[in-house]
Amino acid sequence: MTQPFNGSLLRPDFVPGEPVERHFSDVELVWTDDEQKQIATFRSQYPTNDGAVMKVLWLAQNKFSWLPPEVVQFVADTIEVPYAKVYGVATFYTQYYKEKKGTYVLDVCTCFGCQVCGGYDILHYLEDKLGISKGETTADGLFTIQEVECLGACGSAPMLQVTNGPYVHNLTKEKVDALIDDLKEGKMPAFESVTLPQDETDLGGNRRSDTELVTEYQTPPVSETLH
Amino acid sequence: MNVIIDGQSFEFEPGDLLLQFCLDRGIEIPHFCYHPALSVPANCRQCLVQAGLPARDRATGDLVRDENGKPVVNYFPKPQTSCSLELSDGMVVHTQYDSEEVAAMQADNLELMLINHPLDCPICDQAGECPLQIQAYKYGPEGSRFEFEKVHKPKRVQLGPNVVLDAERCINCTRCTRFTTEVSKSHQLSIIGRGDTNYPMTAPGQVFDDPYSMNVCDICPVGALTEDYFRFKARVWEMSSTPSVSDFGGKGINVDYWVRDNHILRIIPRENLSVNEYWMPDAARLVYERYNENRPQGPTLAGNASDWEAAYDEVANILKAANGKVVFLGSAYATVEDNYLLMKLAEAVGADAPQYISRIQVGSGDNWLISDDPAPNTQGCERLGMNPLDPVLLKAKLAGGEIDVLYVLEEDPIAAGVLSADDLLGIKVILHHYHTTNETLAHADVALPAAMCVETIGTYVNETGRAQRLRPAKMIRSMNRSLMMEAGVGQSRTDRHGTPFDRWYNEDHQIDCQPGWEVLPAIAERLGAPMSYKSPAAIMAEVAEANPAFSGATHKAMDLLGVALQDIGEPV
Ligand code: SF4
Ligand code: FES
Ligand code: FES
Repeated sequence: MTQPFNGSLLRPDFVPGEPVERHFSDVELVWTDDEQKQIATFRSQYPTNDGAVMKVLWLAQNKFSWLPPEVVQFVADTIEVPYAKVYGVATFYTQYYKEKKGTYVLDVCTCFGCQVCGGYDILHYLEDKLGISKGETTADGLFTIQEVECLGACGSAPMLQVTNGPYVHNLTKEKVDALIDDLKEGKMPAFESVTLPQDETDLGGNRRSDTELVTEYQTPPVSETLH
Repeated sequence: MNVIIDGQSFEFEPGDLLLQFCLDRGIEIPHFCYHPALSVPANCRQCLVQAGLPARDRATGDLVRDENGKPVVNYFPKPQTSCSLELSDGMVVHTQYDSEEVAAMQADNLELMLINHPLDCPICDQAGECPLQIQAYKYGPEGSRFEFEKVHKPKRVQLGPNVVLDAERCINCTRCTRFTTEVSKSHQLSIIGRGDTNYPMTAPGQVFDDPYSMNVCDICPVGALTEDYFRFKARVWEMSSTPSVSDFGGKGINVDYWVRDNHILRIIPRENLSVNEYWMPDAARLVYERYNENRPQGPTLAGNASDWEAAYDEVANILKAANGKVVFLGSAYATVEDNYLLMKLAEAVGADAPQYISRIQVGSGDNWLISDDPAPNTQGCERLGMNPLDPVLLKAKLAGGEIDVLYVLEEDPIAAGVLSADDLLGIKVILHHYHTTNETLAHADVALPAAMCVETIGTYVNETGRAQRLRPAKMIRSMNRSLMMEAGVGQSRTDRHGTPFDRWYNEDHQIDCQPGWEVLPAIAERLGAPMSYKSPAAIMAEVAEANPAFSGATHKAMDLLGVALQDIGEPV
């Protein structure tokens, strides 16, 4: 299956040297005393400031809810790392939001493992259901769909992650319906641990002891398009 | 310590890296991300080789041998990137010359690299000098098994005033971003995005205006980064390139001049680890038009076109009539050879020794490759014993009627602010000039178009006292024997493959000018003081012999990398 041609890839998000739209004023771009202390701790954890880039970006995203250029630059200036470098890091990870997102960001995995088990089936079902394409946000501002690469839960493919938080495993269309209904009511899915076949013998069934919800490993489905 | 590469044993120094070690010995291993002046990220994976170490008995430390007595080699389980592999004693290496497996891995890597590369070589400026193109031909697969639409990325992105990005061609070697991080330290570029959609970019709102920005075009191993001024100007195989020295300032930056049909179209740095390493500032490239535009065609007498013989006669008459009341101005833009001949001419007519106009402005440089001195040969003048001109004194002399003739070698005293038009009233002016825009030209009784650094043979001495040799990169109208001989070496000609019958051939691109070492002896001869030199090399040989400040600086010795001259202290 070929990807639809994405025209926007042909244009960079900005033209070098041209001013970019701002979303936060200088008055808003300040750290509280607590945050400053945290940043100082992050910096002390690494031999060079480069090491603290990711943690401070994360802090900024939690504070401002997303990372427009002026926030990235604010982070860069704070920890004295070149702006371009911090921007490079911010754009590398889908978990850092470079655009304003909906309340719930649904990161649907279509990487190899999930792909053969129906990752695209789930993605397309979700797109149809919410009436938006990947990368877009619903008009009510509630949901954003993102297509992401492997989230490291291939054993329970297909799967998705909600707003950089809990994973939803072993997805089916019914499970997607239930998830959307819950989220509309403001109910986030609970953290769920899925066992792996080898856990049964080696670890007495579960490698995590810190969670209530333990699901036993099940053989993943095969993508509809592969039948 | 020894290493065995493809069955051949070599000695090495501890710390040597395999790829550079091989390249230094003429063993080519394909590579993209490695650059000798940058850190070694080993990210392109093109330089793979098979390597191993001899097995040793743990207890005794002795070599383990097989039944034929040959040492057993423990190969690393995975292929190694030779760029980052430090040599160790007894290491055994198999490159693509020796191992079909290695050759196959390199071919596979190229196939992967070409999956999303647009392969638009027919319209790409880099074609013909592209490491990706060359290495894909030499080491790549016959074709591709990839039959899907390629990933699309931004094209024609003006990263800054001088550099244009075609992100689809980028292979993400990170040479460009490492340059701005490690060498120029402007930190203006970073790889953005991830996977098959990433490319180098500035941060939002920022522009790639690094004064050294175009170096990334030189080191980019594909056509992703190109110089704005040179885009679509010429194919590299239509041009000749000549190793020479830039006249941009006192650093003596080593360059290659790229020429088509006698126009300088591109100037790029030439490696010289004692001078500019691999780099040059953008400003030193953007002067290329000054060698092509506003050039005079043939000598003039009081503004009227003349021929060279008549012009020489006129100069000789003027100098004879002046009876020694002549001021000679040498030039920090002219070569050592030409300034030297000017000194001899001054002596022959009984005038004071020439002086030169110093252009040094303390603090105007950048402490790297942009010098405080915009002129290329100030040290050459100093070492010849010339003094910087005192404008006040000269004005007084001119006003006091002590002077009848001003003889100017490759300078523009009015533009330099040393003299004004009024100072020259009633003075005969003889001027060797590069450009029709020379402000002193309007006052010249005899104007002699001079060959510029790209058209002559000669020597510049840079501010650290390194004597370096100029080679003619383009032809002038009257190619004499010396220029012709040198052109054979420097490959300057109408065009490497072109002829005067080509459609695009334009005779006007050949300037009707003369090098100083052609003109000055012709004038001296008419004054009864013949200077007979077979070539500029002979002039320099005489200078090097007679003047200890130039000791050792023969053309032969200077060759491509120059000769460090004895220290003579700071110029005064
Ligand atoms: S633009 Fe060129 S130098 Fe920069 S990463 Fe891409 S291929 Fe390498
Ligand atoms: S492929 Fe989807 S989680 Fe690994
Ligand atoms: S040159 Fe060795 S990995 Fe790129």
